[in-house]
Amino acid sequence: MSNFREDGPGYPVTEATRVDKVSPESRILGKMRALIVAIIAIVMLIPVFVMIMTSFKARSDIVSVPPTVVFKPSLEGFVFLFTERAVVAKARQADFKAAAETGELNIIERVAFEAGQEVTGPSDYVTRLKNSLIIAGLSTIFSVSLGLFAAYAFSRFDVLGKDDLLFFILSTRMLPAVVVTIPLFLMFRQLNLNDTHIGMVLLYTVFNLSLATWLLKGFIDEIPIEYEEAALVDGYSRWQTFHKIVLPQAVTGIAATTVFCLIFAWNEYAFALMLTSENARTAPPSIATMLGRGGIEWSAIAAGSLGFLIPVVIVVFALRNYLLRGVTFGAVRK
Amino acid sequence: MSIESTEAVVQKPDQKKPQRRQLSDRAIVNLFIWPALILLIAMNVFPLFYSLYLGFTDYSAITRQQPQWVAFENFSKILNDELLWKYFATTGRFALLSVGLQTIVGFSLAMLVNHKFKGSGLLTTLILIPMMISPVVVGLFWKLMYNPTFGFFNLLIGYTKFLFLAFFAASLFAAYFLIKRYISKKKIYLLITGILFGVLGVVGFLAYFSDYSLFGFLSGFFNPSTAPDMLASRFAGTPVPGMALWAVVIVDVWMWSPFVMLLVLSGLKAIPDYLYEAAAIDRASSWFQFWRITLPQVAPLLLIAILFRTIEAFKAFDLVMGMTGGGPGDQTELISVNLYRQAFLGQWRTGRASALAYIILIIIIAVSNLYIRYLNQMKGED
Amino acid sequence: MAEIELKKVEKQFGDFHAVKPLDLKINDGEFIVLLGPSGCGKTTTLRMISGLETVSGGDILLDERKITWLHPSERDIAFVFQLYALYPHLSVRQNIAFPLQAEGESRDLINKRVDEVVDVLRIRHLLNARPGKLSGGDQQRVALARALVRRPKAFLMDEPLGALDADFRESMRAEIKQLHIDQHATTVYVTHDQIEAMAMGDRIVVMSEAVLQQAGSPEEVYYKPANLFVANFIGSPGMNLINGKISEGKVVMPGIDNRYTIPNDWLDPLHEDLNGSTDLIIGFRPECAHLSTEGDLVGTVYAVDLHGAYTMLHINMNEHDIVHIREDRMVKHALGENVRFNLDKDMVRYFNPKTENAIYRREVVQ
Repeated sequence: MSNFREDGPGYPVTEATRVDKVSPESRILGKMRALIVAIIAIVMLIPVFVMIMTSFKARSDIVSVPPTVVFKPSLEGFVFLFTERAVVAKARQADFKAAAETGELNIIERVAFEAGQEVTGPSDYVTRLKNSLIIAGLSTIFSVSLGLFAAYAFSRFDVLGKDDLLFFILSTRMLPAVVVTIPLFLMFRQLNLNDTHIGMVLLYTVFNLSLATWLLKGFIDEIPIEYEEAALVDGYSRWQTFHKIVLPQAVTGIAATTVFCLIFAWNEYAFALMLTSENARTAPPSIATMLGRGGIEWSAIAAGSLGFLIPVVIVVFALRNYLLRGVTFGAVRK
Repeated sequence: MSIESTEAVVQKPDQKKPQRRQLSDRAIVNLFIWPALILLIAMNVFPLFYSLYLGFTDYSAITRQQPQWVAFENFSKILNDELLWKYFATTGRFALLSVGLQTIVGFSLAMLVNHKFKGSGLLTTLILIPMMISPVVVGLFWKLMYNPTFGFFNLLIGYTKFLFLAFFAASLFAAYFLIKRYISKKKIYLLITGILFGVLGVVGFLAYFSDYSLFGFLSGFFNPSTAPDMLASRFAGTPVPGMALWAVVIVDVWMWSPFVMLLVLSGLKAIPDYLYEAAAIDRASSWFQFWRITLPQVAPLLLIAILFRTIEAFKAFDLVMGMTGGGPGDQTELISVNLYRQAFLGQWRTGRASALAYIILIIIIAVSNLYIRYLNQMKGED
Repeated sequence: MAEIELKKVEKQFGDFHAVKPLDLKINDGEFIVLLGPSGCGKTTTLRMISGLETVSGGDILLDERKITWLHPSERDIAFVFQLYALYPHLSVRQNIAFPLQAEGESRDLINKRVDEVVDVLRIRHLLNARPGKLSGGDQQRVALARALVRRPKAFLMDEPLGALDADFRESMRAEIKQLHIDQHATTVYVTHDQIEAMAMGDRIVVMSEAVLQQAGSPEEVYYKPANLFVANFIGSPGMNLINGKISEGKVVMPGIDNRYTIPNDWLDPLHEDLNGSTDLIIGFRPECAHLSTEGDLVGTVYAVDLHGAYTMLHINMNEHDIVHIREDRMVKHALGENVRFNLDKDMVRYFNPKTENAIYRREVVQ
């Protein structure tokens, strides 16, 4: 039994750690930590796995008893997602069967036929996806930018009625969407903003502004004011201080805020459902209401949700280093 | 600075052109705040006031009639409606449970992930995924998962049976190591914890394998008739009131703990190492360090997270609608769900709904005020 | 009693050697300064003594007890950080009380100790303030109070005055030194400021590039630097070092007429050390050179720094070497003026250009 207190870990330590962090107990705890997080991540992702599995399942597998983990994958979900279909009339079924056998049908049509349907054209899923990208993307950029400026001002200055203004900003988010939609609908109709991209961008920007401002103010409050004071004394203008000193240190906060605003705008359902129809409709309303031949098309919903989820995951993954980076306090060495 | 000779001139930024006009602080403040404020006012004032106005009318959006003023009739009807108070209570319980659990889970996750280890970046991103899925979709899918016949939830709970087994085995191992350590170090707490774990492990094993096994019932989870039906608040046929609400709470916690985790993580990373180093030298135990350093430093961000989640809990709609529609019965009829029902389903009582919305708003404002006051106090803003 | 000993203590970060094997013995009650430029390894050494950094090799002993792998809290030391490390959300009183509370001491004892300590550091009027609102100097005093309140065996200080204004530093220096004398505690003090080191240290340990260059009293380090680095680093400005050649008992320096006669008792040691080579570096401090119309050495005035109480002349000896000469009063010299000067023979030092080490002669023991 090695005696850590006397002899140490028994190998030369060549990293920057404290003495108590290399003790055997510490190392075991460290390994356990990684294990526990991995387990938690897996458990939390189980529903997502279910979703992924569902998107590849044929109808029968989805409702099988007990639920199956091993199954024959099918592209039914994706086909249902991306295409409009109609039930094949009895009269034409024979022709279709023949075409399938001779290989005339492409894979999409074949899968559709296996469910007894024929393809009549592409669905509007892709358009919806595009709308989502535009509307969510733009509104996030706007809300985070405006929020950043406002947050900085509120954090560093004694604005007249600061607490009240901040509360007002917060309150804009407090009314349940459900009830605000009717006045909004009327307002948009008056301004010809109904079912427009601009209207939705404006709406989401405003809705996210409160979250962005509050979050960013919280982050900026954490940045010590000494750096800016030193810069101001050195002759920098307030604007330069803001963008050379505060911004780099607020990167973690900005990344987190961007992620939250983006997620909200991306997944927003109520407003999108009630204030858009053909032109500017985003994906969430259409995904949730995919009705098929026999009711809810789980595989299509799963496939659609997955496809919808991926852009967000990509953005978050791209930003992960910023999210996890610490604010560098006191690391200003001469 | 040491005295060097002659030429070094201290470089001052942007002083080449003395004529350059710098924006005064006043101008900056205005420039930074007004765009946001203007936008907020423009888009919110009309809806806010119009909703308020509608609250005083009997307007129904599907009829072609103009709104008729009915003064406080809507409000009094609502405040006297026992059912509505019940829904408020349900929402309150939901908010408390959900936000409370989210905080604990999110905070714990943040503390775990705070130290860099292999794959920590990837794992953190993965944990964030639940938050990124559309709430409606989440509701729909968990509905699928909770289904007692072909859903995965019961299946998985059933499998936890084996987890318990693993846990008891781990307890026995822990007991073994602790007692071994006690023999060498003679610290009494090692002996006590060792014995406790040992007892836990032995009793657990016995319970597991005996006839009256506490865990036998977990096997029943594989069978729809003996398993719980969360969304119907039934367990093996007998109704267990409140289960459905718990089902919704679980989903909400699952979805939003990452939110709390992310915010707390940002706060944790902002704590400079030297505070912990100073505490280590001062013989502060880990617990002491947590209470006196970690928690106070993270508190502001944590409170913001809690504030927003509480507001959202009162507005929770997408998720619940997709999963239970307020059922079974009205066990999960949160106030926002009821609001939707009154405004858009069946009755289209727009006026009444607006009044209700304002009452909800007032409650949220009151609760938020409390939070904010506490938040400011904590920051020592005098 | 607090005698600290470092035996072949080294630290590597990956492939980078932050501290090469170091031997040092610190006496009880001594105020020892670890001095050197950034990156020389002084802070790492201090952190290893405190336990905040692990050693890659070697041992650290406190009163002959191995503490190399003990938890920082078990070493009975206090650490004063450069950035004070005060808990921002606690008041000054709570900050100072923190170490005692962490140990679970009784409230009475805590109050008593805090009381004592705030008087010593004269911060009683700040007890209820938050650290964020205090000036740097006051924050540092609070940090010192927190270190003091535990009555540790040794104090470790990591450039505590580094973040303060120059004028403040001087008064704080005196305070810290006084504190040390009152407490009779061993203090290990890290700084890159050699003025600070000279003013405060009983002994100075000069480090550069992970290696200990010299450990000695201020006098030793100043008058008998062990190598070129120490000679140059200590003193402001550092020692004048000129490359020359030894020939016929004189050092021939570049430039017209610049020969310096070497005293006789130096000749043998020099030849022995140089081992046949004729390259030599001669060193003298600015105050050891004196202008004189009959001086042996010649140069032209390159720059004049008037310091009021003295004048620092920059003398160009040969388009190559600029030496500093200090004159004890304020005298103006014209730029380009030709001057002659002499050196104090007793104070001139010699260095071997190849080894960079000083060359010693056998001292006459008195």
